[in-house]
Amino acid sequence: MKLSVLFQILVLLVFALPSAEAASNDGPSRTGDDLFAKANTEFAAGNFKAAIADYEAVVGSGAWSANLFYDLGNAYFRDGDFGRAILNYDRALRLDRHHPEADANLRIARDQTRSLELTPSALERYLNFGTANFFAIAAAISFWLTIILLILRPGRVLWAVAGIFLTAICGFAAYKSENGTHGQGVAIVIAENTEARVATVDSARSVLALPAGSEVLILQERGDWNYAALPNDQRGWIAASAVEKVRL
Amino acid sequence: MDRRVLILALVATVQIQSALADSPKITAVLTSSDVVVGETVQLQIQIDNAGTSVKPPSNIDIPGLQIHYTGESTSMTMRNLSVTSSITYNYTILPEKSGTYKIPSQSIRVGKNNLQTPELTLRVADSPNPTARAGSNRAPSGNTQTGEDKIAFAELLVPKKTAYVGEMIPVVVRIGFNSRTRVAEMAPPQVNGQGFTVQKLGEGERNLENIDGRSYVVFNYKTAISAARVGNFQIGPVEQKANILVPRRSSGTRRKPFDPFSEDPFSDPFFALPFGGLMEQHEINVKSDPVSLEVKALPAGAPPTFSGAVGSFSMTAEANPKRVQIGDPITIKAAISGRGNFDRMNAPELSDERGWHKYPPSSNFKQDDDVGISGTKTFELVVSPNEKLTRVPPLAFTYFDPVKEKYVTLQSETVPLIVEGNAPASSAIAGTTPGASATPTLGGKQKAQDILHQINERGKIVSSFATFYARKEFWLAQLLPLTFALGLMGWKVQNVRASNRAALRAAQLQHERDELLRKLRRDQLAPREYFSDASRVVQLKAALKQMNIEPATVDAETAARVFDLNAEQSERMRRLFATSDEFRYSGASNGEGRLSGDGQRETLDLIESLR
Repeated sequence: MKLSVLFQILVLLVFALPSAEAASNDGPSRTGDDLFAKANTEFAAGNFKAAIADYEAVVGSGAWSANLFYDLGNAYFRDGDFGRAILNYDRALRLDRHHPEADANLRIARDQTRSLELTPSALERYLNFGTANFFAIAAAISFWLTIILLILRPGRVLWAVAGIFLTAICGFAAYKSENGTHGQGVAIVIAENTEARVATVDSARSVLALPAGSEVLILQERGDWNYAALPNDQRGWIAASAVEKVRL
Repeated sequence: MDRRVLILALVATVQIQSALADSPKITAVLTSSDVVVGETVQLQIQIDNAGTSVKPPSNIDIPGLQIHYTGESTSMTMRNLSVTSSITYNYTILPEKSGTYKIPSQSIRVGKNNLQTPELTLRVADSPNPTARAGSNRAPSGNTQTGEDKIAFAELLVPKKTAYVGEMIPVVVRIGFNSRTRVAEMAPPQVNGQGFTVQKLGEGERNLENIDGRSYVVFNYKTAISAARVGNFQIGPVEQKANILVPRRSSGTRRKPFDPFSEDPFSDPFFALPFGGLMEQHEINVKSDPVSLEVKALPAGAPPTFSGAVGSFSMTAEANPKRVQIGDPITIKAAISGRGNFDRMNAPELSDERGWHKYPPSSNFKQDDDVGISGTKTFELVVSPNEKLTRVPPLAFTYFDPVKEKYVTLQSETVPLIVEGNAPASSAIAGTTPGASATPTLGGKQKAQDILHQINERGKIVSSFATFYARKEFWLAQLLPLTFALGLMGWKVQNVRASNRAALRAAQLQHERDELLRKLRRDQLAPREYFSDASRVVQLKAALKQMNIEPATVDAETAARVFDLNAEQSERMRRLFATSDEFRYSGASNGEGRLSGDGQRETLDLIESLR
């Protein structure tokens, strides 16, 4: 009886959840496809503002893809808004780490604006071979293998300790990746002539002038101001309207 | 115990931080570089991170100047567990005659280091009034009473009569009150005038001074002014209102209504007992005379790197990181130290900007004095290499030295650099959309690159940027291995239980076997019981050897197979079981006699040979 219940839960997990997700995406995808095609046509006709509006509408539907953000970035680039172009190229690369076109255009856009990039720490550079997802999955696999080892061979203490250690390292790596210079707090400066300041007033002393497209790491959000780590390893307050987080 | 360990760790950390502090640094400043004969000026030699072993110069001999060592002061600051200490050695300089004096570099031994102070210049002008207490460009008291009648005075001391545009000129405002009065209320004074800017006035320093035989409480306010344009200007006057408490006259003395400026209030005999009577509060107004200042323009021919700074400065610079990719930012920290107009100073510039992209610099000023004309301004310049370069070019900083009356250019040292990676390709056009308009550029020198083409496929649709472990699906998916692990654990528990049952059964069988063997060896048993027990032992041994066999099912053939007996042993085994069965099922009695010793030994040998 118990086994049959467990089996039913497993079947639900394996089949029902993905199908439910797919079903929830069906609606937006269909309308999104039309808008996406329309946006592409407008882009090809040189109507970049109209293309941007349509791409943004697709983004607003919640059915995202790396290509969508890449195309939106191109539209902003053609429209002269390099800050938002860089933001959307970055988003495309977040969804597809190996998107070659987004990577190439991001470099071109950054070259245009001379935007500043966050300097990753030594640990982040070392962990750069994997993403937070990679480390999260590695931590989960390591954890369950350790548990199975403990069940099958309770006497293998050293192996168990090694497994737990590996799990902790992978978990820590996932946390660092998620909270580092490529993590959830990363934002892009979208406004021109943005200044990071020492206090939350426009007249406060400037810490660093940030060209559009520069990366900052949001550490704290307070009303109209964000406290952020800056590319020169300093910290300062930036107007919330001047930056936009990469992750939606 | 834990707290002690924590304190020890903290102390150790502080000591380590202190030990690892920066190397000693030395600075020397004059409180004023322009004085008149008879006016004293302070020489301060400050050593940062000095440690303990410091030998300051005891005598500085310069003809025409009397220099006396007046003491030292020590300060320690702790920031983020980093302790910084500094020692300041003070000397008083009294010029005896006019002229320009060079105070040579002083060698001071700090630990194992031999530090050199910078050379300083002191310009001494003739005193306009040899009898004056101080003969600089000063504006003496312009009101209250004079001579013995003076109850309060105001002075404006400006050490120079001529200056350059932008030059910082230290100014001292002195407000004095007869020591028999008490100041009830007084706001900081204001230095009025046009054509110059005034630094924020420092806190008033209160001294007791004897002037013309009378004792005065004098408040010294330090500030600095900086001329904004060329011309002749009038500084001041300084006008100051104050509420003072003056002793009340005795009632028996005939007097007019109190007027502190028309008669001497201290002529009243009451002053013999100033605290024996009541005090009267009066508002007085003291005012200094203005001081004239001629402001000259800076000489023509300023170098292109002129930063707007006027004064005397030194520069240090460092750049980090020293290994970068093309386009990566490098932060250059340039520290400008000295004395001058830090508020109008621009950042140093790269002497060769080719191959570099610059970003707007930021700055931070740390002042060493009360008025902000001496200190260190640190600029942070962020630059990025556009190509493979081997060095960060020196920074150039030009200032105007009003003492030398010429422009001075400082250059930092070249910093070696490793730039990796390749410069961006000159063109990356690949399938550019035909209808696309020209790419907007920001006016860079390089040819603007074009972006890659539009992609018409939407690609894989996702609905979240969140990392796996931040999604509920990830945690729900963990149910899968959890279920597997739980199943495995259940199977393992069942196995253990089964194993325990088998072990228990084996133990029971062994116990029974041992008991029966003991009985067979020791006791004189009747034949029926003997053979029954012997056959039972064989059964138990067979069951112990093959755990899946029930002891009661073992017969002579099974035993022969299990123990792999030869023909002779098999025959003896068969007879043992037959005899046992015969006694058990034939109804025969146990027999009247006992079993013979040979028969017993033969049977025991057979049983014990079973392995």
